[in-house]
Amino acid sequence: MSSDFYKTSILPFAAIIIKICRAYTNTQEDFEDYYQEVCLQIWRSKDNFREQSEWSTWIYRLSLNVCLTLLKKKKNKYQHFASDYIPVELAEDNRAFADEPLNQLYDAIRQLSEVDRGVILLYLEEKSYQEIADIIGTNPNNIGVRIKRIKERLKRLFDGKIN
Amino acid sequence: MEKSIEIIWKEGFLNKDALVAPKLNDLYNQKSKHIIDKYMRMFKINLVAIVVGSLILLPGSFLIGMPYMGVPMFFILNAMVIVDKRLLGELKEIDNNITSYEYLKTFDKWIKRKIIVNTRMARILYPYTFIAILMGFWFINEDGNRLGETIVTKLIENYPDIYLIFGIPLTGIIGALMIIGILTFFGGRIYRWDMNLVYGRVLRKLEEIISDMEELRS
Repeated sequence: MSSDFYKTSILPFAAIIIKICRAYTNTQEDFEDYYQEVCLQIWRSKDNFREQSEWSTWIYRLSLNVCLTLLKKKKNKYQHFASDYIPVELAEDNRAFADEPLNQLYDAIRQLSEVDRGVILLYLEEKSYQEIADIIGTNPNNIGVRIKRIKERLKRLFDGKIN
Repeated sequence: MEKSIEIIWKEGFLNKDALVAPKLNDLYNQKSKHIIDKYMRMFKINLVAIVVGSLILLPGSFLIGMPYMGVPMFFILNAMVIVDKRLLGELKEIDNNITSYEYLKTFDKWIKRKIIVNTRMARILYPYTFIAILMGFWFINEDGNRLGETIVTKLIENYPDIYLIFGIPLTGIIGALMIIGILTFFGGRIYRWDMNLVYGRVLRKLEEIISDMEELRS
């Protein structure tokens, strides 16, 4: 990957990748691995970008796909050694943002299902229902209901944590 | 919850420190290590399987009355293992402190050398195996006689004018020599096909990583 490509095409969108990778990992080490893998896949797949969507939307989709794949690989790897594997949602996050409510929100997001994590991240990034559906690959009609349910669950998780 | 999740999200990321991108540095090192470890693991399993196979084949061949096949096969298989074990030793000597690109390139060179050595061996191995099997069958004891000699006797009874060289039908010798020739000629290709079947995926992945890294360096 040339450093020019990284600087011009990835770094301006690094926030997207960081936000997504944080939701699918619970250690700094995993986070860095996921971030690097996403960047590598963006670079490798750049020629497949058809300009049918925004570059940022494409990055969202690719980041989510890479994170979901890595998570699946990790689960498969540990499925025979169940005692060694701590699911993301159960493991304590050893990183911290300076903003405490944001930490708590991320803790709550990490307890959601893998797909719900993607949906809520896109919602928080102010993506339209249509864009969320396009990225996740679902029907836009279901997105609104799904988001409502996720927000209720998050509220319960969030309140539980505070209380 | 005092603030909505939307506000927490927005406010939380106002602080730019929350979005510091990690440096891209160690990915290729990890990938290189992973790919080489995987190959080494498969290679070692392969060697152990050959040794175990030869150890079963040796007493087994005596049990089924084909020691003339079992003994030479035991020797050739173990000779192959010794050669490959030496090659593996060379691989372990590669300095781990070099960059991952150099390490992968060295590994790639090693693989190519191994393929050349094993291709040469395969040109001997396959015809050798054919001869061993032929000898195994020829010397099977059937009612006090060798199976090969019994077959030749029956052939002479049916075709009395058959041409013999050292008591073996010429057509049989020509047929066996042709098979040996074909196996010698195609031995290398058979080995490469076999190699591709077992290690193909790992080797393609290795090429892919090297090509990625070369693009990175350019």
